[in-house]
Amino acid sequence: MFISKLKQALICLKAGRVTLPYPYKPSPPPEGFRGKLKVDIDKCVGCAGCANVCPPGAIEVIDFDTGWRRMQFHLTRCISCGRCEEVCPEKAVTLTDQFELSTNTKEDLTVAIEVYMDTCQRCARCFKPQHPLDKMMVTGFRK
Amino acid sequence: MLTSREIIETLKTKFDKQILKAEEKVSNQVFVAIVPDVLIPVICFLNQSFSPRFLINAGTDVVQQDGKYKASYIFSFDSEKIFLCIQVAVDSTDPNIDSITPIIAGANWSERETRDLVGINLRNHPDQRRLVLADDWPQGLHPLRKDFPYDYKPPPEPQNKVLLKKRPEGTKVIPIGPFYPVLEEPAYFKLFVDGETIVDCDYRGFYSHRGIEKIAESKLTYNQVCFIAERICGICGFIHSTCYCEAVERAAGIEAPLRARYIRTIMLELERVHSHLLWLGIAAHIIGFDTLLMQSWRIREPVMWLCEKISGNRKTYGMNLIGGVRRDIPAEIHDEIVRVIEKIERETVEVIDAVVGDTSLHARLKNVGILTEEVARSICTVGPTVRGSGISIDSRIDHPYAAYELVDFEVAVETGCDIWARALVRLKETIESIKIVKQCLLKMPDGSIMGEVMEEIPPGREAICCVEAPRGEAVHYVQTGPDNRPYRWKVRAPTYPNLQCVPYIIKGERIADVPIIIGSLDPCYSCTERMAVVDVKTGEEKIYTKEEVMKR
Ligand code: SF4
Ligand code: SF4
Repeated sequence: MFISKLKQALICLKAGRVTLPYPYKPSPPPEGFRGKLKVDIDKCVGCAGCANVCPPGAIEVIDFDTGWRRMQFHLTRCISCGRCEEVCPEKAVTLTDQFELSTNTKEDLTVAIEVYMDTCQRCARCFKPQHPLDKMMVTGFRK
Repeated sequence: MLTSREIIETLKTKFDKQILKAEEKVSNQVFVAIVPDVLIPVICFLNQSFSPRFLINAGTDVVQQDGKYKASYIFSFDSEKIFLCIQVAVDSTDPNIDSITPIIAGANWSERETRDLVGINLRNHPDQRRLVLADDWPQGLHPLRKDFPYDYKPPPEPQNKVLLKKRPEGTKVIPIGPFYPVLEEPAYFKLFVDGETIVDCDYRGFYSHRGIEKIAESKLTYNQVCFIAERICGICGFIHSTCYCEAVERAAGIEAPLRARYIRTIMLELERVHSHLLWLGIAAHIIGFDTLLMQSWRIREPVMWLCEKISGNRKTYGMNLIGGVRRDIPAEIHDEIVRVIEKIERETVEVIDAVVGDTSLHARLKNVGILTEEVARSICTVGPTVRGSGISIDSRIDHPYAAYELVDFEVAVETGCDIWARALVRLKETIESIKIVKQCLLKMPDGSIMGEVMEEIPPGREAICCVEAPRGEAVHYVQTGPDNRPYRWKVRAPTYPNLQCVPYIIKGERIADVPIIIGSLDPCYSCTERMAVVDVKTGEEKIYTKEEVMKR
């Protein structure tokens, strides 16, 4: 008993202080971290591939008419899985290393972009799912 | 050794025409359809001749296809590495079936769950109360039926409240829960005590349903389910996504590349390391030994960082997809992985050395919460909980998945049957897991990490997969559906059978020991309670006040 307690005390002493000084000092995540997503409006073609695969349905697609589409990324729902980044044919979505998302206004966490679609939505040539199990359900992209 | 063929032959000879169909749909998985009348004789016969271990009962609504509800009783032949699924189709106009609980006590919850969710009524079941559905869920509404919309919120019917057992003469009631400080999640144990000693108890849980199975069956695609499967448990999520993926892969005949299987094994074992260290801390905390909590969690933290580095997140790895994994473990970080886990190994050994001789721990943990081999077998308990009672069940050996066939490790078994034995099993397993990770890193071949999935998965396929979670064995059953989506996905988390043995192991114990006894099962309520769309406002009081307020 006594020896056990001594050994336990020794473990504690050896460990010393381990708490990190975060948030007083920044604590950057490792490379490859899946954080807040970023959309590049110049690259997005509005193919909705990302919306099709997104597991929690965090990407909303609103069609105004055949040529004009709004993509809304609801970061409140996003689970940072990175599937959108993986399937995006234009590399328009990327996950950044940001993780401090707390805010007082929920709207801060919605990113909306509007895309003029040209013929893209009808011809469906610009996007083909890489994986046959990723079912395409958003209009415009079924055969 | 018994083969799938022999099982089919034996059943056919014995029951002849009453076996409607028997086939090995997936290698080592036998599916046998029988007529409802012989269910009890078949189960009795199996029990007497082979005594397979009961896993789960899954109910499926196939009314649209053939006007029936289908009940599937899944058994495991552990040493033969075979799954047997006995299927009975029940007429939808008269959905009644004989209960098998009088023969197999471990089927109790599973059958009641099928009754609640699919609406197959049970004749002769010893407990006709609802299990999964909330107290105010309307009578006769079964959320897993296909005609029940996944987003429908029925009006509450408060009169359906489940009545817990009446207090036996001469005892007092001590409630533990629904919210009890040391058990992190909601569950209600109503203890009947005589002085300090527990005479009996009753349980009401399932407060944290999230309707995961329903949403997966009605809305999600195969690859989307991987992510919700990972969220079944906050500690061992990866095992659920692996289990789901392997079940679908088996059903569809997709093979994940070897490298992907090794990566899955590594992640599974890292998960076991951090889960066991987490448990050690919590168990120590429950008995007031916070030094050990601090130290074991300190030792654990680097695994979390390691996983963050490998997968991009410290807990939800999001690595699995049908057919393989999404991220590789490149050679550059192998050294770092080895460094981190070797340090953990050293420190864990030090901790084990410092606590095994601690007599104050012995006083709290030895000969407390005895789970006898007999009870463990009849309740079909799994994981470290039974391995502490001398039963060597481990699906890594019994039903190999990922790359476990290709690595060597020992299954930790203790014979003490008490909390101390269960603790030792977990500590030994932690060390074994580290060995497995090291082996995997050495043996892992180069190659792709995602298998070729050439086409959509055809409907009507079925498969079962078991994965050994830190808490015990998780079972997933998948039936593929039309439209390239799963039709039925049934999950059984390890706490599900384990929690059913609580009444047995707390009987005769003292009140002060109850938290650590329950804690020694490493319970995880959210995993257990994942299957119905439920409103958690349970208390009659709350509804009463609301009505009262309305009146005024
Ligand atoms: S990271 Fe995942 S959850 Fe978030 S938007 Fe992309 S696909 Fe959806
Ligand atoms: S997948 Fe890429 S290109 Fe297509 S809609 Fe999404 S962000 Fe735009």
